[in-house]
Amino acid sequence: MAIHKLEVLVENEPGVLARVAGLFARRTYNIDSLVVGPTENSKISKMIIEVSVEGHSLEQVIAQLDKLINVIRIEEILEGAISNTKHDTQPDYQN
Amino acid sequence: MAHVPTANGTAMTGATSLVKSLEAANVDVMFGIPGGAILPAYDPIYDSTIRHILVRHEQGAGHAATGYSQVTGRAGVCIATSGPGATNLVTPLADAAMDSVAVVAITGQVPSLAIGTDAFQEADIRGITMPFTKHNFLVTNPDEIPRVIAEAFHIATSGRPGPVLVDIAKDALQKQTTYNWPNSINLAGYKPQTQPNQGAINDAAVLIAQSTKPVFYVGGGVIKANAARELLELAQLLGAPVVTTLMARGAFPDSHPLHLGMPGMHGTVAAVTALQKADLLITLGARFDDRVTGKLSTFAQNAKVIHADIDPAEIGKNRYADVAVIGDLRETIKALIPALAAALAKGRADLSPWMASVNKLKSTYPLGYDIPADGALSPQFVIERLGKICGPDTIFAAGVGQHQMWAAQFISYEKPRTWLNSGGAGTMGYAVPAAMGAKVGAPDTTVWAIDGDGCFQMTNQELVTCALNNIPIKVAIINNESLGMVRQWQTLFYDSRYSNTSLESKRVPNFPMLAEAMGCVGLSCENPADVDATIEKAMSINDQPVVVDFRVHRDAMVWPMVAAGTSNDEIMIARATAPDWDSQEL
Repeated sequence: MAIHKLEVLVENEPGVLARVAGLFARRTYNIDSLVVGPTENSKISKMIIEVSVEGHSLEQVIAQLDKLINVIRIEEILEGAISNTKHDTQPDYQN
Repeated sequence: MAHVPTANGTAMTGATSLVKSLEAANVDVMFGIPGGAILPAYDPIYDSTIRHILVRHEQGAGHAATGYSQVTGRAGVCIATSGPGATNLVTPLADAAMDSVAVVAITGQVPSLAIGTDAFQEADIRGITMPFTKHNFLVTNPDEIPRVIAEAFHIATSGRPGPVLVDIAKDALQKQTTYNWPNSINLAGYKPQTQPNQGAINDAAVLIAQSTKPVFYVGGGVIKANAARELLELAQLLGAPVVTTLMARGAFPDSHPLHLGMPGMHGTVAAVTALQKADLLITLGARFDDRVTGKLSTFAQNAKVIHADIDPAEIGKNRYADVAVIGDLRETIKALIPALAAALAKGRADLSPWMASVNKLKSTYPLGYDIPADGALSPQFVIERLGKICGPDTIFAAGVGQHQMWAAQFISYEKPRTWLNSGGAGTMGYAVPAAMGAKVGAPDTTVWAIDGDGCFQMTNQELVTCALNNIPIKVAIINNESLGMVRQWQTLFYDSRYSNTSLESKRVPNFPMLAEAMGCVGLSCENPADVDATIEKAMSINDQPVVVDFRVHRDAMVWPMVAAGTSNDEIMIARATAPDWDSQEL
């Protein structure tokens, strides 16, 4: 079972955590850990989500997360890698 | 309707700002019911150029907004108060989400200081509707109202359409504010990709030109994108068969020789089998729903898949896509036509054996039904005559169940936006209020609700709304005195043990009397010989809603059928009767 770590930039608005948590719950994605914190921009928060992908593709998890209007950018954090894989609202992984 | 624009910077209440914002969003009609928390908004609504239609149940307002949107392509608007008013919108919002319909719902909320205290008529409608709205808002600051309304309409109508709910605290409606309609909308996390990637278009064109058994698998997205004309051109360019899903009926003319009908659980043998045997699915605005694919692992096993959709999350959700094209379908098909023409010019596969096979299936297994020997009225016959007599310009809105499937099967749809139904959610009670909204959106078009006797008893109160507001819809109740589809499953899978599916609606209620009580004309028909005259009588009445109680026999079943969870290869054309596969070469 592969665990992926996602860094998710979200708008700092009420209910954003519920939107993300609710999405994972209703689409039966597993959250291993979740940390939410501020960024230098007070309008934007950062979530670090560790998701264990089982029966779903990581692309599907990211695509569904990206549909949330308050989600600005999703980046997969690859431990030890030089550059991380960025996902924004213009998904580039299908073409 | 042209509203007089309001100057930015004008002082007014939040309630007036809401109504001015709705006017600025070009809303011409909304469906709703007032109540305590939303009451401040109803005062300026009294003066507005927006037509407000007072429904009898908030669920009716929601489905009416959906029907209006499905017919016009614009956002449908519904409005309700807090608590139970808002929760009554839950079903239509879930319905609109499943069928990707642009609906904007406005709800009143208890005053901001009372939120979270279990106040009278308080419900966390934003929390409740998070899973099935495209987005939702809670507004407590009146200054935000114009921006939020502008964003709500933008989100609902752009990209993959969907419902958006705006919950506004009562004190935000009451407070003074200054009106500021935004000049532009900038949502950091929402920029739908409308232009397809040219590389993906070229890959798709090459794959199509190489295919010897292609099928156009057409979904509701083609209608949402207003791409029916482009689809016709593309299909004729290739000369390959087309299937239209339940949400796509009318996206491609039923009468066209390339059309094989509807795929899925109650699809035609030709459509279901063509998908199963294809080597390429050209998927346009469809989502590989379980009612189409049957057992997913056995669906179209030898086919490569081109998947074109505006929603990136549909790609690879249920079925791997060999080529994915993200974008507005109209733009996608417009780009695909020259790319395919270029690819075909370099060499094209011979599709004639494939076309001969699917055409043989089409002629061998047409849709049909048995006429009962005792002279009882067949539901399929009634629906078939409705389609023939009323013609291809008529809009039909169906409820959910057997009558819905027969209405999808036995009426010939030639144009987009003439077939409305609750496809994804399967919402019984959809038809009457959706037909009401459709008639408001297309007042010069005949609108029929084709409803079951079960469905009709869930939402028929909106016929009062229709009668009082000059919305003369027509309703055909396909009265088999049963929850017919459930009864069909009991016949097939539960040893004919009819647990709680008999409604006795040929005894109670008396539908024509009920219709008359609601200000409609009530008609009844039980004899096949009277069907045409009854439909023609209903068609001649245009100043009142008409309800016809078609009293049909209860044992008719919907065929063909792929039983839930089984493979499409196991399609049955009648009980325990499979097509004669040995005589087919595919």
